[in-house]
Amino acid sequence: MQKYDAIVVGAGNGGLSTACTLAKAGKKVLLIEQHNLPGGVASSFRRGRFEFETALHELAAIGKPGARGEVYELVNENYGVPINWVPVPDLFRAIHVKDDGTVIRDFTMPHGRQAFMDKMEEYAPGNREAVARFYELFDESKAALNYISSANGHPDPKVLRKQFPNFLKVGSYSPMDVLTALKFTDDAKRIMGTYWSYMAVDMYRLSSIFYLMMVGDLVDGGAYIMEHTSHQLTTGLLEAFRRFGGESWFNVRAEEILFEGKRACGVRTTQGTVYADHVIWNGNPNIAFANMVPKGVIPERELKLANARKFSARMFVVYIGLNKTAEELGIKDYNIFISPGLDTADEYKRVGRMEKIRSTAALCYNVANPKIGPPGTCQMSFTMAYSKDVWGDVELRDYVNLKNQKAREILELYERATKTSIIPYIEEIAVATPWTFCRYAAVPEGGVYGYEAAGWDNCMARMMSLDRDFTIPGLKFTGAAGPRGDGFSESLLTGNIVGKMVLGEMMAKEGK
Amino acid sequence: MALNVKIGKIGPLDMLKFSKMPDVREQVIQSTPLSPLPKAYASNAKAELYHPKWQKVVIDEIRQNGADAKTLVLKSENGKALAPFRAGQYISLAITIGQTCTTRSYSLCGSPEWAYQGIYNITVKRDDEGFVSPFIHDHFEVGQKLTISSPEGHLYYEPIRDCKKVLALAGGSGITPFMGMAYAIRDGFEDFDLTIIFGSRKEEGIVYRKELDEVAAACSKVHIVHVLSDEEKEGFEHGFISADLIEKYAAGEEVTVFMCGPQAMYNFLDGEIGKLGLDFKHVRRELFGTIKDPWNQEGYPEEIHGKTYQVKVVQCGQIYDIPASADEPLLVAFERAGLKAPSRCRSGECGWCRSRLLKGDVFIPAKTDGRRWSDLEYGYIHPCSSFPASDLEVEVPAEYLNL
Repeated sequence: MQKYDAIVVGAGNGGLSTACTLAKAGKKVLLIEQHNLPGGVASSFRRGRFEFETALHELAAIGKPGARGEVYELVNENYGVPINWVPVPDLFRAIHVKDDGTVIRDFTMPHGRQAFMDKMEEYAPGNREAVARFYELFDESKAALNYISSANGHPDPKVLRKQFPNFLKVGSYSPMDVLTALKFTDDAKRIMGTYWSYMAVDMYRLSSIFYLMMVGDLVDGGAYIMEHTSHQLTTGLLEAFRRFGGESWFNVRAEEILFEGKRACGVRTTQGTVYADHVIWNGNPNIAFANMVPKGVIPERELKLANARKFSARMFVVYIGLNKTAEELGIKDYNIFISPGLDTADEYKRVGRMEKIRSTAALCYNVANPKIGPPGTCQMSFTMAYSKDVWGDVELRDYVNLKNQKAREILELYERATKTSIIPYIEEIAVATPWTFCRYAAVPEGGVYGYEAAGWDNCMARMMSLDRDFTIPGLKFTGAAGPRGDGFSESLLTGNIVGKMVLGEMMAKEGK
Repeated sequence: MALNVKIGKIGPLDMLKFSKMPDVREQVIQSTPLSPLPKAYASNAKAELYHPKWQKVVIDEIRQNGADAKTLVLKSENGKALAPFRAGQYISLAITIGQTCTTRSYSLCGSPEWAYQGIYNITVKRDDEGFVSPFIHDHFEVGQKLTISSPEGHLYYEPIRDCKKVLALAGGSGITPFMGMAYAIRDGFEDFDLTIIFGSRKEEGIVYRKELDEVAAACSKVHIVHVLSDEEKEGFEHGFISADLIEKYAAGEEVTVFMCGPQAMYNFLDGEIGKLGLDFKHVRRELFGTIKDPWNQEGYPEEIHGKTYQVKVVQCGQIYDIPASADEPLLVAFERAGLKAPSRCRSGECGWCRSRLLKGDVFIPAKTDGRRWSDLEYGYIHPCSSFPASDLEVEVPAEYLNL
């Protein structure tokens, strides 16, 4: 029987990253994936003469030459994947609009600290000092996280208290608490809170540190996309993995995680059984625990954790290819967050119901990347995330009509908010519902963000619990359900962390 | 002044609260009851019913349809519903002939309603030079079990995109997706005005003659125009489906054109439709099908015609050395060698057969090159639309369900 050092199940961002980390260290790694291409949701698909990005809106942590971010360092430098990152022009535009088309607020925020501060002052006067305090807190927190990471997760509390007191003081609070403490006005809080929908958790329950890092990194380093869609990233990662000597099997499904006593020792697949000292699962632990493991092998504590958690962000996305250019249509923004501008806790509750779509993150790829798609066209996507499995109640017979109705709602919302006509120019349209994400990513309820990184299970708390969380001998989880939570950057970075943890165990066993 | 953020009343307590976060989290975990985790979730269960990877069916009935086609009525093996479909979609039928495991795609030509009763209809035209259709005509029997894919393909009506009036141009057995659309309109699954302009050779050979007339009579939104190429008769249009004919039945209204038929028909219609100045978005075509004459395609390297190359195939750790003709798609070489390789559309479009070219060159006709941008960078090909142009080394994904 074939024996590997590690088997990685699932070639999503997290699985690819873990596989690369292990293979680069010289380990014999098998990567298996149930689909015929890598990426999970980080992919692309073709319709007519268009190729659509499936999932990515933008990435932070790429940075600029001389000041590269973590993701650039990991993907381009560590794994050696030659991605051409395309900068996104502005941070975002946000439009708060009523059902009748009345615009309540319309603001466009640039990247760069000074520019961001100046714009904030224009839209919400009296917040210069608050923004300055925000930057200061961001810098301190970033330095604190670097210190913690350099201390391998075991920082000296004295150093922390002395050098990073503000980081410690805000670390257990929500972004809303911190914005209040920094004395942002209500209007400014709404602007600062725009990115909440990327996290799909309201501003009262996220980790302030993670939110701060995301916003700060975006303000400093700007946002990026890949020139050739996410498929370029994930195909490039697979290529790197192969170059490191890794073996990959596609169209192969894992059917059972095998155990010897309480230790995972292999995987039964549709192509036979393979063995390894370490199994890394790039998928949701709840599905693995319920369907993939023998009875009695999973520690009670892990089962309780799985019970205690909630799934996050069941996606609904409309992709369209238009037979006019962005310029011809009058589209100038890469990303627009459209919503009624409610408090984020109310928004969160609202998207837990199947009601008329009133919020979306709308993208026009050509504004950032003029080379995408055939000449004379442009392509867009419209995303919203449900906070409950409301699509689970839909009957098969009603599915197509509901899908089309929701697509129309989201497209009309965009037209209403931006006063731009797009529907008559649609040449290709594809609609992905939570069912679609169930189909392609095998995620529970179509939730692509893993577990809600909220309240007691926020990312800071998870990162501080790494030692307690990975308790199943020989079995680890990577990807969006991992410690750093959802998102491309986070999955890639989690993949690296998990890979290093496995390497650490391998070295300990070898007595090094 | 140094930053001094204050949230709680006493700074040091906030610090303590921070360091206690893992303990608080642990308390929540430990106090959670140990209930069995659900095996499935509502959306996942629905997605599985909607998009099964494969479906098992039994042939319930076989009947002659027109001069050289047979309609197969397929029933689900377990008596339950089959996956719902959008009228115009196809299924891919997995079939083993001798040592060859192959697939063919057939449009679903029944009503979407019947899928809920566990019934699909497909119609197979006999092509005596073909490999699969004579086998189906000669050997398939009622009661036989078959494995088919979930419904696939994108030739269906999109109310947000398409005009309210659709002209469907069909040639021969290319009527099948439009038969499905006609039923779908009649049974309330779709709402648009469908005029089918249907080209056949002679009246006696018309596929679905009776059914089309019945649906058109029962439903005011379905219209059928027969065009005969080999005979002139009253009540029929004569000749090929031309620009004039399309214009006549468009009757000055905005229309979306759907096409399904043999490759020769597409090539002819491309010219005819060009004359009409229709928007690109309003001209939609079914899968092109496997190209059988690569040597007639633009950019074909003449010197490979008629040659046979050696191909090293890597599949999940196994290695196979097989011959491959330059005149056939690489996929066919896999199948002739008895390999189980994935495939569905066989037209370069769906990407189901996507494989990695490790060494060598292939010829890919531009009109069936449906690859993604980065696949070109990293050397991936769709073997169903790639013709060997040298000795090759290819890594092929598994076809994980036993056919």
